Amino acid sequence: MKKLVSAPALFIGAGAFLIVGLLLGFWWAPVDSSSMGFSQKIFYYHAPIAETSLVAFGIAFVAAILYLRTQDLKWDRLGYVSVRLGLLFAVLVMLTGMIWGKASWGTWWAWEPRLTTFLLVCFLYAAYWVLRSVVDEEQRRATYAAVFAIIAFVDVPITFFATRFLPEGLHPAVITSGGTGMEGSMFASFMISMVGMTLLLVALIRRDLEIEDLKDRVTDLKTSLGG
Amino acid sequence: MTVAEGAKYVAAAYAVILAALLIYYFMSARRVAVLQRDVELLEDEAKRRQAPAGEAE
Repeated sequence: MKKLVSAPALFIGAGAFLIVGLLLGFWWAPVDSSSMGFSQKIFYYHAPIAETSLVAFGIAFVAAILYLRTQDLKWDRLGYVSVRLGLLFAVLVMLTGMIWGKASWGTWWAWEPRLTTFLLVCFLYAAYWVLRSVVDEEQRRATYAAVFAIIAFVDVPITFFATRFLPEGLHPAVITSGGTGMEGSMFASFMISMVGMTLLLVALIRRDLEIEDLKDRVTDLKTSLGG
Repeated sequence: MTVAEGAKYVAAAYAVILAALLIYYFMSARRVAVLQRDVELLEDEAKRRQAPAGEAE
């Protein structure tokens, strides 16, 4: 199938949005007037990465449903590539969140709703990988992984809404039904970074799928050549 | 918190993000290149083996 946008164009687009978002976040958006001060600048990548990791897990959730409906292994492949990237992004969220927490709250970690549920997301999707590694037969592995991906996804909306339903936690809710709680320049910088991070996720998913296709091709050729 | 103090944390956070994403980007690009080369070599080998068989017929 012909792709609408080439892979290099996606990476260049992602890079351009991410660089512009970062530059605007530092030079156009003002320093936050709250106690966070300059450390709030972490937000311009931290929040987009967090949202993007949840999007990746959402893609894995949809792919899991499609796999269970069709038994087509291409959906299993999309699912585990998405989980792999979602987990990478989730670990980055945890690390940058801890750095930001130390800067603004004075502590690396707090057992509050958003952080705890996000940590649980990381553990759940790490368990997804463990599950995949212990099942050899391809179709059975794909089925178990799809069921697990659907169950694990239950924690994703809980994480997203944790700060909205349990506002007494340390982690602020940035975008609520009442508005963004940000100045226009901050929000614009955030949204540009958000687009960049989403494009990066799409580009990396496509590249990882290409890697999996090539691995299959190598295995097939080796088999046909007798080892 | 002063700007100088905050800047240390901000620099650390962005360094973590950019390092991880760039390493992943370059590693995956290298993986694609290596696999494409493997496919080419294996396809060449398959053609090479088919050629004598074709000549024998």
